[in-house]
Amino acid sequence: MSGPIRVRVVGCGNPSAGDDAIGLLAAREVRSELEALPGVEVVEAGPALGVVHLLEGVEAAVVVDAVRSPTGRRAPGEIVRVEAGPDGLPADVATSLSSHGFGLAEAVGLAAALGGAPRILFLGVEVSDVAIGHPLSAAVAGALPRLVEIIRAETRAFVSTLGS
Amino acid sequence: MTHRSVEVPVIARVEGEGALHITVEDHEIRDLRLEIYEPPRFFEAFLAGRSYAEVPDITARICGICPVAYQMSSIHALERLFDVRLPDGMRELRRLLYCGEWIESHVLHVFLLAAPDFMGFENAIEMAKAAPDLVKKALEIKRIGNDLMAAIGGREIHPVSPRVGGFSKAPRRRDLEPFLPRLERALGELPGIADFVAGLPHPALPRPAEMVSLVHPHEYPMNEGRLASTAGRSFEAESFEQVTREVHVEHSNALHSVMADTGTPYFVGPLARLNLNADRLTPVARECLTRAGLSLPESDPFFSMAARVVETAVAIEEAIRIIREYAPPDPPVADVTPRAGRAAWVTEAPRGILYHRYDVEADGTIREAKIVPPTSQNLRHIEEDLRRFLPGALDRPDEELTRMCEMVVRNYDPCISCATHFLRLDVRRV
Repeated sequence: MSGPIRVRVVGCGNPSAGDDAIGLLAAREVRSELEALPGVEVVEAGPALGVVHLLEGVEAAVVVDAVRSPTGRRAPGEIVRVEAGPDGLPADVATSLSSHGFGLAEAVGLAAALGGAPRILFLGVEVSDVAIGHPLSAAVAGALPRLVEIIRAETRAFVSTLGS
Repeated sequence: MTHRSVEVPVIARVEGEGALHITVEDHEIRDLRLEIYEPPRFFEAFLAGRSYAEVPDITARICGICPVAYQMSSIHALERLFDVRLPDGMRELRRLLYCGEWIESHVLHVFLLAAPDFMGFENAIEMAKAAPDLVKKALEIKRIGNDLMAAIGGREIHPVSPRVGGFSKAPRRRDLEPFLPRLERALGELPGIADFVAGLPHPALPRPAEMVSLVHPHEYPMNEGRLASTAGRSFEAESFEQVTREVHVEHSNALHSVMADTGTPYFVGPLARLNLNADRLTPVARECLTRAGLSLPESDPFFSMAARVVETAVAIEEAIRIIREYAPPDPPVADVTPRAGRAAWVTEAPRGILYHRYDVEADGTIREAKIVPPTSQNLRHIEEDLRRFLPGALDRPDEELTRMCEMVVRNYDPCISCATHFLRLDVRRV
């Protein structure tokens, strides 16, 4: 990896809380391959609170985290793909994302409100079990290969659109 | 008879998940319970049977906001038991790491969590739209804290370099020197931020409180000191479990901390530290204290935000001093020989005193761990504050009442857990 970072892949989550680790696991999986691309950095971000700083200074970001549908209309393991608009993430996604009350949705919204936010693609995976000390559920573990494929494709697409 | 029940299953902008249940009958509070899920209980069980050397990495995972506090209480406790001789500079490097965490956590709370309440904004995003320069300034200061933690602790999710005995790798002078101009700039902003906080309208909740913090003869306390209270108590970390007591609360999993002899609650955190350590303030912090409109003694919890600004100044001034004088500890990690016994220590997490106790086997295996986080020590006070604060507001609509409850709770900056991060806010009316 050389030159300035232009695309950042950010995996969020808690490594000790079951399905909440999915974003971190995906980031770990794609790291070596994607960091070989020019201007790409992959970060395992822990709690989404820290993401606000990771959205600075890049042209595009792929953010991966666990989500839980407030109405239960998504099945565990289902992958959600959303592009952030000028007001951050759409409300129906944002409400299922908030972490610690100040989480990913707020981080993205804050970056948008302050101006200068990069293009942000959000990839979420619907969880079933986020109890501390539990392993990944079968449904979410099963979604990992597909999630990794999507992250690879989307990051490569960002890199090629940004050009040199 | 009118009967109303307000449930705030998850309080927005509070670390982790919590639930508040209030039952109102004939315009009076009949029942009020703040339920908080406490992840340390899981970690206490998880630590049993592990080697002492694994403890800093495990305890760092308890909180995503204050991993350093959890590491420091555990490391100091074990080093004390093992009688570890630390090389010169270790103490200062650890204090610098803690400064980073205070800066990051305090600025997060003041600007992104609490200020929107007092300014009447729905959340920090709305506040950022109305006052972008202020929020940008705050985020830059917060970032210095994050970057300091990364420079010392490592860039992984949680700090990975702190060890029993020192650090797996100590930063070089040239890793830390670039922080000086950023810290100086941030320090220059602090008095203006204190003015801003002084100008915020906030409710008043004058009530007596026994406040508890560390006190240290030479410095504003972070990693070490003796415990003291505004009621005149003075004790060592080793007697924490005799002086205080955790009581089970009916209909709840929560444990409330009270003073063992009187059964009364106590209050920990930035305001407690400030009351007990005003004479150890650094110069700009002292100026911020005056400009934030705080005159001590003060026990009104709504002055906690001002106290956080003052302590942000302390952390910045201390970070500048430590970096200027910095020489990497050599070796970065001291020899450690485990031995059997009981290890106990208290450090000052951003939210207040954090107690760790370990019963250790001769080979360094942890037999039992006990962790008492600041938030669980404040729970009883938060409930009592709500009981005092709410009577005048009980007839307001649910939505407004919920907001007021959230503001009171949030003002304590409770770190409930970083366990899960899903917001499910649901207000029910019976």
